[in-house]
Amino acid sequence: MAKSDDGIHILQGLLVFGNVVIGMCGIALTAECIYFVSDPHGLYPLLEGTENKDIYAGAWIGIFVGFALFALSILGIIGVIKADRTLLLLYIILMLITYAFEMASCITAATHRDFLTPNFFLKQMLERYQKSGTGNNNGKSVDETWDNLMLQNKCCGVHGPSDWQEYTSAFRVKHNDADFPWPRNCCVMNAQGSPVNLDGCKLGVSGYYNSNGCYDAILGPMNAHAWGVAWFGFAILCWTFCVLLGTMFYWSRIDY
Amino acid sequence: INYTPTLASADLGGLITASTFVLEQPRCVFGDFPSEDIWLVVALPGAVNDFNNSLAPGTPERAFQEFPNATPAYMTLNTTLFNYPCPKTPEDITVLRVGSETSCANDASRPTCNGPLPSPGTYRVKFLAWNGSGPVAETRWSAPITLRTVKQPSSITVMGSGHSAGMIALTTILSILFAILLAGLLAMLVFWGSDTCGGSSSFSKPEAVSVRKYNTHHVYDQPAARL
Repeated sequence: MAKSDDGIHILQGLLVFGNVVIGMCGIALTAECIYFVSDPHGLYPLLEGTENKDIYAGAWIGIFVGFALFALSILGIIGVIKADRTLLLLYIILMLITYAFEMASCITAATHRDFLTPNFFLKQMLERYQKSGTGNNNGKSVDETWDNLMLQNKCCGVHGPSDWQEYTSAFRVKHNDADFPWPRNCCVMNAQGSPVNLDGCKLGVSGYYNSNGCYDAILGPMNAHAWGVAWFGFAILCWTFCVLLGTMFYWSRIDY
Repeated sequence: INYTPTLASADLGGLITASTFVLEQPRCVFGDFPSEDIWLVVALPGAVNDFNNSLAPGTPERAFQEFPNATPAYMTLNTTLFNYPCPKTPEDITVLRVGSETSCANDASRPTCNGPLPSPGTYRVKFLAWNGSGPVAETRWSAPITLRTVKQPSSITVMGSGHSAGMIALTTILSILFAILLAGLLAMLVFWGSDTCGGSSSFSKPEAVSVRKYNTHHVYDQPAARL
């Protein structure tokens, strides 16, 4: 009797510990997803115009799942200590529902990350940057995002300034090729925000224009976002899986 | 003159665009003609063979605005030898950008405009020294220069989702884990059902009571020890 008593106490201890970890991870997940949804790099407008913003849906689900995990972990701790079968059954069922939601979030984030290829951004940039005649906020945000991106990261286009040369674009419709082989923001700027050497920039003299592409600057934060939501969520779910199995086993042993 | 105009160095990003191109300046070429105007002739390849070099620059037959419809060649970018000093200092970028003047492209009063080339077709150029009444020297014709033809953005194929290995692994593992949990839940519910049928939970209740009995034993023991 003493032996199984100890065994049950150890199991209880482990389950309480497991639930504490779940609770803390839940809060961490909520914080992380709030960070991603707040879009610190200002890249959301690039996705907004297309049909591919579901990577943010994954983060939104993550916020609520994190809260749910925290609340359920408290319920679990109470249930384990009190050894109450009904409470634990409720805990397991609610946890499974939360588990399903978190699974959806992880898979969505991981899947939609795969859509973010260079060509995806290239096509969108060519079609929307500097598109005249857009009175709606949508078009303007794309312009601002690309301008900021090119200025802050000292880059040009997706693959490089040759993007503007190889394809026609909304930008090309608005600005002729001789004066603007590529947007002004591709030029190296001085402290006042104007090009250091405009002719050098138009000629393409290295040192007066940015010859590298912006794809890396876009993909870095997007990757962090997607992997943060998907793989952290995956880790939490693996841990939750173990705790839930333990809880089910404990539940079946309660009134030993 | 035994000189062929060439494009500038290839590490200029804007060497050839859709309507401009960049030539090397003809340094150390026109040394014998210090006071003549040196013009650049831009022509369609078909006009090279019967090119009449005595047509004066600035006339309608050599006007930029008439190119390429009414005239197969135009002359522009006139300067004197003063602007092409010899020898050339190696660090300087000595180039001529053909097509950089957009303001006069449609201005018929500026026939010698260095306007943007109207189409991405092929062109050939040469330099011509002119002394006011006729040509005095000219270089060879350059190799054909073809400008960029641009593609439509709709031709860009946005690659339809190649699923990465990570995403497939993640989905598979999570699905398996979820399936195991659901199976566990089912087992639990079946177990619970059989429990109430077997009535073992009712058996466990007395056991709990008996444990308490043991506890009370201990409680009674202690006052006995004190006594």
